Amino acid sequence: MQPYQERYIANCKEIAARSDLFALNADTFPEWLEESCQAEERMQELREENMRLLHDEFFPVLDTLPSLSSEEIEELDAFGDILMDWKTNLDCGLYITIHEALLSLARIRKDRSAIIRELYKLGMGLYYQDRMIQGLESEHTQPYYFRNEMVFTEAGSYLRFFEEIEDEATKGYIIRALANIAICTVDRHRRVAVSARTLQITQDEYYRKQAPGLPWDTYLQRAHQQMSSNRNTLSRGDMTPSELALILESCQVVFQPEKDNKDPNLRWLWPYYEMEYTCGFTDLKTTLQRMEDLIASAPADRYDYSGLYATVQLPIYYGRLLKANQNMPDRARYISFLKKAYQRMTKVLFAIPAENFDDLFAYFVTLVFSDYYETEGVPTYREITSALIPKLNTELYIRSYVVGELAACLSERVYDRDPSFFAELPPLQDIPAEKKKETLSAYARNCGLYHDFGLIKLKIESVERQRDLFQTESDIYRLHTFSGHDDLCSRASTKDYADIALGHHRWYSEGDGYPEGYRRNESPWRAMTDCIALSVFLQEEYQGDLKPLLEEIDRDKGRFSPLLTSYLSDRKFCEELETILTHAAEEAYIHIWNIKNEKAS
Amino acid sequence: MAREYAVYDGHGTDAPILYQTEGFEPTEVTAVIDLSEEKQLRISGSDSMQDLNEELILQLKEMENAGKAKDAFLSNMSHDIRTPMNAIIGMTALARKHIDEKARVLDSLNKIETASAHLLSLINEVLDMSRIDSGRLALAEEAFSLSDLLHDILTIVRPQMQQKGHQFSFDVRDISYESLVGDTLRLRQIYVNIINNAVKYTEANGEITVKVSESTEGERCWLNFLCRDNGIGMTAEFLEKIFEPFERANSTTISRIEGTGLGMSIVKRLVEAMSGSIHIDSAPGKGTAVEIRIPLRYEHLEVHSEELQGKRVLIVEADEELRDDYRRCLKDAGLHAVFVSSASEAVAQQAEDEFRDQHADAVIIGHDIGKDGSIYDLASYLHQRDPQLPIILISDDNWEDIEYKANHSGIEYFLPIPFFRKSLLNGLSEALRGARGSDPLTSVDLHGKHILLVEDNLINREIAREILSSTHAEIDTAEDGKIALEKFKDSVEDYYDLILMDIQMPVMDGYEASKAIRALDRKDASTVKIFAMTANAFAEDIAKAYQAGMNEHLAKPVDIAKLMQALRRI
Repeated sequence: MQPYQERYIANCKEIAARSDLFALNADTFPEWLEESCQAEERMQELREENMRLLHDEFFPVLDTLPSLSSEEIEELDAFGDILMDWKTNLDCGLYITIHEALLSLARIRKDRSAIIRELYKLGMGLYYQDRMIQGLESEHTQPYYFRNEMVFTEAGSYLRFFEEIEDEATKGYIIRALANIAICTVDRHRRVAVSARTLQITQDEYYRKQAPGLPWDTYLQRAHQQMSSNRNTLSRGDMTPSELALILESCQVVFQPEKDNKDPNLRWLWPYYEMEYTCGFTDLKTTLQRMEDLIASAPADRYDYSGLYATVQLPIYYGRLLKANQNMPDRARYISFLKKAYQRMTKVLFAIPAENFDDLFAYFVTLVFSDYYETEGVPTYREITSALIPKLNTELYIRSYVVGELAACLSERVYDRDPSFFAELPPLQDIPAEKKKETLSAYARNCGLYHDFGLIKLKIESVERQRDLFQTESDIYRLHTFSGHDDLCSRASTKDYADIALGHHRWYSEGDGYPEGYRRNESPWRAMTDCIALSVFLQEEYQGDLKPLLEEIDRDKGRFSPLLTSYLSDRKFCEELETILTHAAEEAYIHIWNIKNEKAS
Repeated sequence: MAREYAVYDGHGTDAPILYQTEGFEPTEVTAVIDLSEEKQLRISGSDSMQDLNEELILQLKEMENAGKAKDAFLSNMSHDIRTPMNAIIGMTALARKHIDEKARVLDSLNKIETASAHLLSLINEVLDMSRIDSGRLALAEEAFSLSDLLHDILTIVRPQMQQKGHQFSFDVRDISYESLVGDTLRLRQIYVNIINNAVKYTEANGEITVKVSESTEGERCWLNFLCRDNGIGMTAEFLEKIFEPFERANSTTISRIEGTGLGMSIVKRLVEAMSGSIHIDSAPGKGTAVEIRIPLRYEHLEVHSEELQGKRVLIVEADEELRDDYRRCLKDAGLHAVFVSSASEAVAQQAEDEFRDQHADAVIIGHDIGKDGSIYDLASYLHQRDPQLPIILISDDNWEDIEYKANHSGIEYFLPIPFFRKSLLNGLSEALRGARGSDPLTSVDLHGKHILLVEDNLINREIAREILSSTHAEIDTAEDGKIALEKFKDSVEDYYDLILMDIQMPVMDGYEASKAIRALDRKDASTVKIFAMTANAFAEDIAKAYQAGMNEHLAKPVDIAKLMQALRRI
């Protein structure tokens, strides 16, 4: 590898390690704060160095790609492989950039083996990038999944020329690309169909004979694993009988090697049990009991896939079953178990050390945020998520805290002068007059905390810590508004924050900002969205002087509510805001320090 | 002798006005009925008093009904006019109240616009009726495309059709003449009115079938239209009055049907004005069938199929019936059509073509492309892979509604559904004329154009020069931004049409050079096109290129097809 490549990788690793402020060892708050600030500074230095490396060393390489030797291209490829080793996902965006360039080069050279290989690798990169938006299925995300699917489809389409292609490695890429269409297609039934085709191909003697050196049995096993995972996306009523049969068969295949294993991988063990229930071989009670046994026997400090499957994924599945069977007998007992399982799950997620903040961890966080079952008797979604936010994205927590304080100050001031401004706000509707201001203030703080909730799942900020965003990443970043909104609005405890998460980047006039579909006027929460939008701007842009920001607000007419910005002409009020802008972040650090000590004890 | 008269004055009063007068001579009244003791009738030319009496009683009833219908009409009109007027007044007041809230004002304005449009349509119908009745209707005689007319009709009726969940079948066959001569606006009015009635008078989730065909008699072509629904149907009694103005069917199942009651009268009068015929077959609970035949002149449409000879066209269409339509239309056209039924198959076919060193000359994205992607996703992917490939969308969507999205996905051509042979072949020819020749590298002819290629890397320069040489443009090169700036300064005004600018270069980088060129005090400094060619792909880098005055950003290594596509824009 080139020195700049090694340096970039080392920097990314150091940034990832330093981003966990909970891991800093200090005895007192001032020491810890000092270390935290040093960590921030160091991360900033590393980021700047990364940008230099990319601009001065990496891009010039891509700039002159056609003139590189095959060794240099191999080196670039190897650099890519370390950037995305399927687990740590150090920099999937850069990996994609490398393979997009190599694919263009392959096309220019009309090198078909290289085209197929690069299509496959690009497809993998896109798949990992799309995991950021996993679970977010809408017209906004469809183009990303589609591109991924078509890249694999293009690579897989060379199956028609399997006989003509000489090298086995390329043949391997074709088979793997074909199989991977299933992991990025949105249509659930199509996933099953693609998995079925993969199973067929991997068992077909014709193909096996064409490439005897390929690990066909491994491919076959993977194809069964892939088919078994379809049970997750298709509910009991959605499966056709033939789909049910296919999935059940594959679950059996992946279950066999695990069933007598002393330390079975639950990821492959559980699907069969679940299918037994889906097919009616076992009843709900037995299935829940099996889950309870597996959850209870799992150690809390095991952070590999099987460990987290037991402590995080199974409680989520347990909740799913209770949600689907709301009138089951003895429900209270099961809810009581779910409560404990959820509490333990939260502790596990909180305790995961920074070195385990990998792609797998992100997957589990996404699962919890998307599938948490909020019901009476278990901690609310708000309780769970507010406990996790400081740990999962400390930086986001700190700025969200400041935004919340600013919004509280702003809304209190507006309420004093014009209570009708918040007249339509749903959380204030049934509150007695004397409690309204206090409720409003607390609500504003929570809205601050949750306004960027979608960013936690997207994980795009970890990329931003390392370098600037590419255009596609920048577009994905904007999807955090939908991601946050969708999760928050589907739970009673957080639904009042959902519209704020959706609309806080859209201009008041709807003339600019995003998302375009957001209709401010139709939202009864719009008064608070306006407060948060202004607070976010102040928090993000404040550099020690409010004056230039006020000038910018004046220039960008239509960006913020004129009813709110009119308050900024009050000098005294501006001083209050400046105090918050200067000191609130430290309060947030104190909160984190307290949480850290509380968890440690 | 004093007489008592009932006078119906045609203005829809509730009851006959009674006059007691002597020597009353009605002048402008519609009918006068003597209600005096003797029941003397003042109608000249009547021989038998009994016949006259019976006739008059009938007339009286008709008058009463007409009067009632007019009363109802006025009452409806008054309601129908008031409803949008109330909305307009109310929303105006709301907008004024929230004048500082732009979004709210905008919302009010949108609602005012909708209400105004509704009001305008009411007024238009009343005016139409009046125009027809007074003989002031003039029909246009213009050539029009039958495909466009039917597409427009579909676009108009589809939203209500979908809203009520109706199953809609649109069957067009035996079309020999695609270009007809007539009043397309009035034809549209007739057909839309009939289909809208079918939609309105059919309960949700009903079935509506429209069949359109042609038959020829001499120089005239009869356009046959049949609309059949399984809606509430009409009684024989109502059928007799259906073409009378102000009549609307009453139904307990359809609670409130909007409209003026003038639609069918207008349709009848328009059809008659076009020398056509209308026939309605209906029974309560059995649905309604409306058949309209209108004679129209036709024009012979020339087909320009020379460009199609030997061309390969990829057609993405999963609907078997539509595939048959394509086959029928493309038969004997001399082109090779390759059918695929989904987005993935299209992408796979493109890859296979590449492997075989052949390529499609055009792609038709049809109505049904399977479930694995939207038409825009597919178009976008195909366009990215080969920006010169003409993509034709054949759709029943309204082009104006989708144009922006379609253009941004690389769709340049649009043909409406239903499509016919000649319009399809001409559409394809047009797309192929505007597209590349057989070799993507020789397609862009920049003969007489001057390009300044700024690139410090020798191999890159050679590759770019080789690609560009096929365009017949004159290529100058510069090894860094400073040399490029000097060359531009030394050139006569408007000499260079394009500068392809590398970004990272020694001495002076691409950003600086572009800024410096833009800052020069000469006319072409602001107009010459500058395209960045760089591997720097951060969102901020792209923005920086635009800020430096560049017009486009091409990623390195330069994709030949993408470069050619960009060159087509100079």
